[in-house]
Amino acid sequence: MHPAVSQSLLVSRRSRLGLYLGASVAGHVVVLLVVALYARFTDGPRVDLSQKPIRATLVRLGKPRDAKLLPRKEQPPPPPPKKVETPPAPPTPAPPKPEPTKVAVPMPGVKAEPKPTPAAKKPEPSKTTSKPTPQKGEANGEDRRKRLFGAFDKFSKSSKQDEELEGAEDGDPHGDSATAEGERYFGLLSSQVRRHYDVADTIPEAERLYLKAQVAVRIDRTGEVLEARLAKASGNALFDSAVLAAVKRASPFSPPPDHLRDVLRKSGVVLEFSP
Amino acid sequence: MNVKALLLSLLLPLAALAQAPVIQISGANFRPLPLAVSAPLVQGDEAKAPAGKLDETLMYDLRASGLFQMLDRASFLADAKEGVTAGSIKFARWADVGAEALVKYTVAQENGELRVEARVFNVGSGREEFKTTHGAPVAVPHKLAHQVADAIYRHFTREPSPFLSRITYVRKSGTNRDVWVADWDGRNAKQVTKGGINLLPALGPDGQVAYTSYRQGQPDLFLQQEEGETVRLKTAEGQMATGVAFSPDGKRVAYSLADGESAQVWVADTNGGNRKRLTDTRYGINSSPSWSPDGKRIAFVSNRGGSPQVYVMNTDGSGVKRLTFQGNYNQTPDWSPRGDLIAFTARDERNAFDLFAVNVETGKITRLTQDQGNNEEPAFSPNGRLILFTSTRNGTPQLFVMTAEGNNQMPLPGQEKGAYLTPDWGR
Repeated sequence: MHPAVSQSLLVSRRSRLGLYLGASVAGHVVVLLVVALYARFTDGPRVDLSQKPIRATLVRLGKPRDAKLLPRKEQPPPPPPKKVETPPAPPTPAPPKPEPTKVAVPMPGVKAEPKPTPAAKKPEPSKTTSKPTPQKGEANGEDRRKRLFGAFDKFSKSSKQDEELEGAEDGDPHGDSATAEGERYFGLLSSQVRRHYDVADTIPEAERLYLKAQVAVRIDRTGEVLEARLAKASGNALFDSAVLAAVKRASPFSPPPDHLRDVLRKSGVVLEFSP
Repeated sequence: MNVKALLLSLLLPLAALAQAPVIQISGANFRPLPLAVSAPLVQGDEAKAPAGKLDETLMYDLRASGLFQMLDRASFLADAKEGVTAGSIKFARWADVGAEALVKYTVAQENGELRVEARVFNVGSGREEFKTTHGAPVAVPHKLAHQVADAIYRHFTREPSPFLSRITYVRKSGTNRDVWVADWDGRNAKQVTKGGINLLPALGPDGQVAYTSYRQGQPDLFLQQEEGETVRLKTAEGQMATGVAFSPDGKRVAYSLADGESAQVWVADTNGGNRKRLTDTRYGINSSPSWSPDGKRIAFVSNRGGSPQVYVMNTDGSGVKRLTFQGNYNQTPDWSPRGDLIAFTARDERNAFDLFAVNVETGKITRLTQDQGNNEEPAFSPNGRLILFTSTRNGTPQLFVMTAEGNNQMPLPGQEKGAYLTPDWGR
């Protein structure tokens, strides 16, 4: 045969389409299988936030207590709980802070950083006012920017009132947050929930060792909770309702950063509680 | 290589979508359970009076346990006539007043018997979690109340409550000091001794009462069985026996025997036989024994180091170890039935008597009371969660109860005039 004939398109040749098709289908099946198995055998990225924040206390100036003496209580025995009414302060947003370059929780078009302040310790408005709700019809970007900063300021200040101060929330201005952005937001979530994580004393000590409940939470772009449901019950109904209540009381959360927004809205995040 | 990278880049976003990240949260703040107990639904007018007493006792039990934050009935928003089944309860109204759990109960009287049906609801889930019925003669509503409170307590903690246990103490009236035995809240009190000077009573696990009495001139130990028969525990002639304590199994007693120069700790069978001296110091005091819950060790007070301090030793007298090194006047140790703590009375540098607890393993001392009169003579509840003690914060010494951490300090109800002294908590 003339060599030109063998290259002619008019001559029919054995087709390899079947082979390629087969390989393609097999490849897809493998990919799907691997995905399914991966999802089956991993719990998703785990974030260990059990690390204790560093707490420092300033020791009062004065003579040290004689080691031979019996201890004294720092405070008298706690009186029965009294409700202190904190009047909701007028919603005047604080002025924006001058900005270091590091980004804490980025907003659309805005670089935000929770105020890194141990200084402010004013009585603060109740938490409901700190809800950052972006509103429609805001023409001015500057307005919005101010509002967001005001919200952050209030939030970080009001958190200072609480007993349990978590270091992660404001972090260090020189921290390497740029690489661990996701974890940082999860840390924020965790500390916000933990502040409301109240569990009844009645839960037997033996049970406290193994109680575990999972709450699946979906969060929208403003930090509002779309859905919070018990994904895995602990077996103790009181504990289950306590952790659900903790999530509800802790919401709304801070707005999630850009790259987590979709994940948090669609598949959400699972909070695994143990006492 | 390329294929692998390609695969991974394909897979990872998919996997991220399929699996939500898991954040672990621990370090709960434990605090008393906000509990709403609605006023009883009483069926019939004749049951009203006993139901009132029952309710009072029930509420005191739950409140004094320290495990519940009892919500004020005046704040309740629910309809007073609301039903007692999950279907008829508007749980949102209970959630609005802060309740996490709700107790509803009915009281009825038939044929001289008072009957209670109590239900516990989880306000969060709106489900009935527990139901219990109890009955008792109309004459003893407090007994019924303790039973109901115990059932509720057990439901939540899965451990026995202290509400069915008994206490003993000395009450001063005129020149007499008499031993009394009462329910854990001081109600239903019965006088054990009739006049004279009687001191330092102890309650055994089977309800036996032992105390020091001067009824035969010399102070000596007496033991009253539950049935009422009283025997004298023979101790040596001319010596003063005080501070008796029952071993956890109730078969042995420890006490302190004083002569002119010193006081030593002894143990004996409850009939006085098999006596053995555990301490042997030429001078000074060894007194106030208290058994560990396993019955293998005894805590006591000794001034062998110069000032009274709390020591522990084995029940054969070996292995003596000093436990407290702070303060210069530590006395009346009581070993927690949980084993980890020994509560004691100490005089601080301001000359105030207050209660402290020392960790048996670490020796760490924590303060339980402060700046409220003199507080003395701690006695642990049988489950180790509460401490009974005397306090002069209202004038004469009265009986108070608080949690083992020193919280929720409350006087026992219905105490009369005259000092209440040296309580002990039985089972």
